[in-house]
Amino acid sequence: MCATFTSAPVADTAEPPSPEPTGDPVERELVAAVIRKDRKATAEFIERYADPVHAYVRFRLAPRTDLVDDLVQDVFLAALKGLPEFAGRAALKSWLLGIARHKVEDHYRTSLRRMETPELDDDSGLIPVEFPCFDEMIDGARLRDKTRRVLARLPEAYSYALLWRYWEQRSVRAIAAETGRSEKAGERLLARARTQFKRLWEAD
Amino acid sequence: MDSERFFLKVAETTDADPGTDAAPARLKSRMYSRLLAEQASTGPLLSLSETRESGRSVCVFELLVAQAPVPDRVKSMNPCTVCHARYLAERLDQAPIFWPHCPYSEFHRG
Repeated sequence: MCATFTSAPVADTAEPPSPEPTGDPVERELVAAVIRKDRKATAEFIERYADPVHAYVRFRLAPRTDLVDDLVQDVFLAALKGLPEFAGRAALKSWLLGIARHKVEDHYRTSLRRMETPELDDDSGLIPVEFPCFDEMIDGARLRDKTRRVLARLPEAYSYALLWRYWEQRSVRAIAAETGRSEKAGERLLARARTQFKRLWEAD
Repeated sequence: MDSERFFLKVAETTDADPGTDAAPARLKSRMYSRLLAEQASTGPLLSLSETRESGRSVCVFELLVAQAPVPDRVKSMNPCTVCHARYLAERLDQAPIFWPHCPYSEFHRG
């Protein structure tokens, strides 16, 4: 008696289905052309993505704007090396911003490791302070400009601590561990940074 | 408002509106030179003839190289390394270069 197959048999040796190409086809084509070393594709790669990467790095490195260009270039060099592994699961811009984030965090880590925590004249930085209600605050563009001005006027260690904690959303424990501090010292650094930020924010 | 909420809200709002800061044209120019040098260091660039065949435009100097009766090896070299446009573009904020299809010129015209 013959067996009847109601559906196609699946053999153990069957080839796995080839993965569907993912992502934006225009981006895939651009990536392929850069990997082929098409110089005009490399120019297009820079033209398309340098602005968002630069904007991100510039904000995150306040007040050290002098370091921005070198770090942005490092991001693109790392991206060039990594492009063959770019799978297109995320948009190319997000992938580049991910590389930028790693570079920025590397910078925070090495900078905060070698920096002394600035000392305030008193211990007022350790007292919890009230911040203005957010709903009463200004629109997004003005808020960004004001925030950037205030961050730029903070000591580097305070600015980096705040950016790492709140913009990159790293825990105090993680920041402390990565910068060779105790958690308590990390808390103290952040508390002082917040207080100083508030003073400058209100004076701005 | 407590400080944690304040900062998380400010971070969220400023990241949602990252602004329109453009990267300086001279930075783009320097990165282009650097990336091409990096690509050339691991083997020849795609020849200018092949670049044209793939539908991308080349500048007048690159066109000369692409059409010259020279080996592919030469067409894969980067003539921008000896071009005045590159020199100006890497150093000035608004370089006076207007060659059509020159990447340096295009970075400066935004």
